Amino acid sequence: MKILIILLQTAFFIGTAPILSGLITKVKNNIRMRKGPSVLQPYYNLAKLFSKGEVVSDTASWIFRATPFMVISSSLAAAMLIPILVPSGSMYHMGDFLALIFILTLGRFFLALSGLDTGSSFGGMGSSREMFISSLAEPAACLVIFSLYLQFGATNISAFGGAGRLSVASLVAGIALFLVTIAETSRIPVDNQETHLELTMTHEAMVLEYSGRSLAMLEMASYIKQMIWFFLVAQIMFPVAMPASGDIAQLAFRTLWYFARILIIAAAVALVEISLAKMRLFRVADFLGFAFVLSIVATVCAILGV
Amino acid sequence: MDHPEIVSHIRDKFPGDRVSLDPHAYPDELRMHASPESFKGVCLELHKILSSPVMMLFALDERAKLNKFVINCVFADMKKSRWIIVSMDTPPDKACFDSLSKDIYSASLFEREIKEMFGIEPTGNPDPRRLNLHDEVWPQGNYPLRKDFVKMQDGPRGDYRFNRVEGSGVFEVPVGPVHAGIIGPGHFRFSVAGEPIINLETRFGFTHRGAEKLFEGRPYPEAVRISECISGDSAFAHSLAFINAAEKIVGVSVPAKAAYTRGILLELERMYNHVNDIGGIAIDVGFSFPAAYASIIKEAILQLNEKLTGSRYLKNVNLVGGVSIDIDETGKRALLESLGKIKRDIEELARMLEASVSFMDRVDTTGALRRKTAEDIGVVGLAARASGIPMDLRKYFPGIYKDAKFNMITQASGDVLARLRVRISESGESCRLIEEFARDLKEGEEINVVPELREGCAIGYTEGWRGPVLYWLKTDAGGSIERCKIVDPSFHNWQGLSYAVLGNIIPDFPVCNKSFDLSYSGNDL
Repeated sequence: MKILIILLQTAFFIGTAPILSGLITKVKNNIRMRKGPSVLQPYYNLAKLFSKGEVVSDTASWIFRATPFMVISSSLAAAMLIPILVPSGSMYHMGDFLALIFILTLGRFFLALSGLDTGSSFGGMGSSREMFISSLAEPAACLVIFSLYLQFGATNISAFGGAGRLSVASLVAGIALFLVTIAETSRIPVDNQETHLELTMTHEAMVLEYSGRSLAMLEMASYIKQMIWFFLVAQIMFPVAMPASGDIAQLAFRTLWYFARILIIAAAVALVEISLAKMRLFRVADFLGFAFVLSIVATVCAILGV
Repeated sequence: MDHPEIVSHIRDKFPGDRVSLDPHAYPDELRMHASPESFKGVCLELHKILSSPVMMLFALDERAKLNKFVINCVFADMKKSRWIIVSMDTPPDKACFDSLSKDIYSASLFEREIKEMFGIEPTGNPDPRRLNLHDEVWPQGNYPLRKDFVKMQDGPRGDYRFNRVEGSGVFEVPVGPVHAGIIGPGHFRFSVAGEPIINLETRFGFTHRGAEKLFEGRPYPEAVRISECISGDSAFAHSLAFINAAEKIVGVSVPAKAAYTRGILLELERMYNHVNDIGGIAIDVGFSFPAAYASIIKEAILQLNEKLTGSRYLKNVNLVGGVSIDIDETGKRALLESLGKIKRDIEELARMLEASVSFMDRVDTTGALRRKTAEDIGVVGLAARASGIPMDLRKYFPGIYKDAKFNMITQASGDVLARLRVRISESGESCRLIEEFARDLKEGEEINVVPELREGCAIGYTEGWRGPVLYWLKTDAGGSIERCKIVDPSFHNWQGLSYAVLGNIIPDFPVCNKSFDLSYSGNDL
């Protein structure tokens, strides 16, 4: 029964992941006085890519072919650790926040390798930049986890709901994690998903050589990854106490609230994207440095117990 | 130096029959003919006293009638509002001339062009490579601008070598000629150490259409239409420069209303391109809201263009002897009304950009082209003004701009921000100029006169939105064109871009490139 519920909620999680990108694009376009594509566009794109043929470079090795599977399975595995409807027990005991970050990193590692694999000029640049950015983002994320551990005594994601009250430490940690999320989901001001300029790309440059089904898998993986990061920020910033039993009303409320707070985060990301220019590449160090400092503050707050 | 003064100065330096003066020139031209031995000396002397880059350097094939090639070198004398043309002859069996490029950098690309198009050797030019004719396509021994060239002949093929930067950790990044997005084709070869660019070499010619050859043998009306297609975003400036040369040859004086109409349309073309580039700079740093705003303003200007002329890109307007459209009172009212709104919108756009810290951080100090560098490599037009070089044909060759009290806009720093600010200020100035010109439009005045065809050659010029667009035109008595040499400002300024990006990081290249926004087709011809 539990396994079935976990599978069901993971399917639900994955199924709703692409709509976030559609929504962000829609919000941005409406602010820009444009209609923009439908919020379902990411689904159409995936359907299109899945039905298309694929071109693989002659110089590509097995890494290039294996990467889409590695990336999507790491994202799927990470998604399994996200608690949504199940109140307690289950799989997320073994899968805490720290495990989640390292599972995602496995996918990133392969993605960076595949960027180098074909030997094209853009892929290599993308990989090098991705590693540069993640080497700055990960310490901040780890320190956020540390502060949360001090506060809740666990690195388990469902524990962050705590008593359903937002502490100062959680707020600061949430902001720090939001900055990390912007970097991890390749959003402005760190990266720009909308650009066609290969020379400025980070994430997009690594997947530039992919097409068809492989590209669809990579895109799907990044939608899931984005959903995970948004969920984590939402879980810290908008904590909900664990319901005692599987009451239907409780369940409905949780589902609604689960969606609403992710939408709030998505809207915040869209607003940040529209109101800022992308940073110079090396300014990303300052940006993520700031996230790191915030996570130290969160740790201090957690120690002080505020 | 004054007109007679320059002549006597050159005469003193090059006595005897080494330099002779052509008395048939127009008031804004001074033509000298130099012997092959003194050609280089005269050019260097003029370059020194005028501090002008080589504005044009080109060859003529006169073998059929006079059994010689002619080389022409054009300098601008900004202070005296005239062009100084030095010519020399070279025999067809041993066609060569002394290269200027070791002393004047701005001559080097022209010399490579002459070599590939005519097979005339610039003796002493250090770069033996072709420029726009690619070895992959054009076998050796084909010289397409010679009059007797009919069809490409097969022959041995050469190869093209890029300059190499070597050392540990230095990588080459080849980009293009096919780019993402809808832009022209050009190849950029970066040498990078990590992210910083240590060398950029450009290779163009992918849109080479043989434009200069297309002009040959055509009558004026057809040729004007071709000139509109040299660089689509400067259709009006190109046709105006062509017309300017043609009208000098036929000796027609344009009706006042036609001159003002041309002034209005030239400024409208400048405005829509400047607004487009302001938005383009914003989008290249990922700042999408102002970019969306700019595209709305651009569309408003294009619609205004269509309302006035029937063409969004101002084609089919210029004629030899005037213009084809009459801006009447209703047109004038519509113009001034739209202009007021456009002006406010541009000011709002500029405020939006200047108020954004994240945007200003991206453009300030990025892609700086120092004045000395710009002068040495002969950068012209908008990019030159952003680096602090006072150079604008509207000021130094004023015409109708004289009464409108044109203000030349310059900036000192030469970075992306400076080029952005020049664009913003020039858009405002263009609005003012259009209002001035519109006031002088009189209802019912004639807008064109029919020219009498004549033989001759002349320089045509206009300050397009990128910079000076230059045409050198030679026609026969029936008014059909014998030779047309075109120089778009992009030809000079691509070199400027190669220097401006040095030391910048690769992800900043697109915004540097956009801040110049040069034409591929205007360069390739």
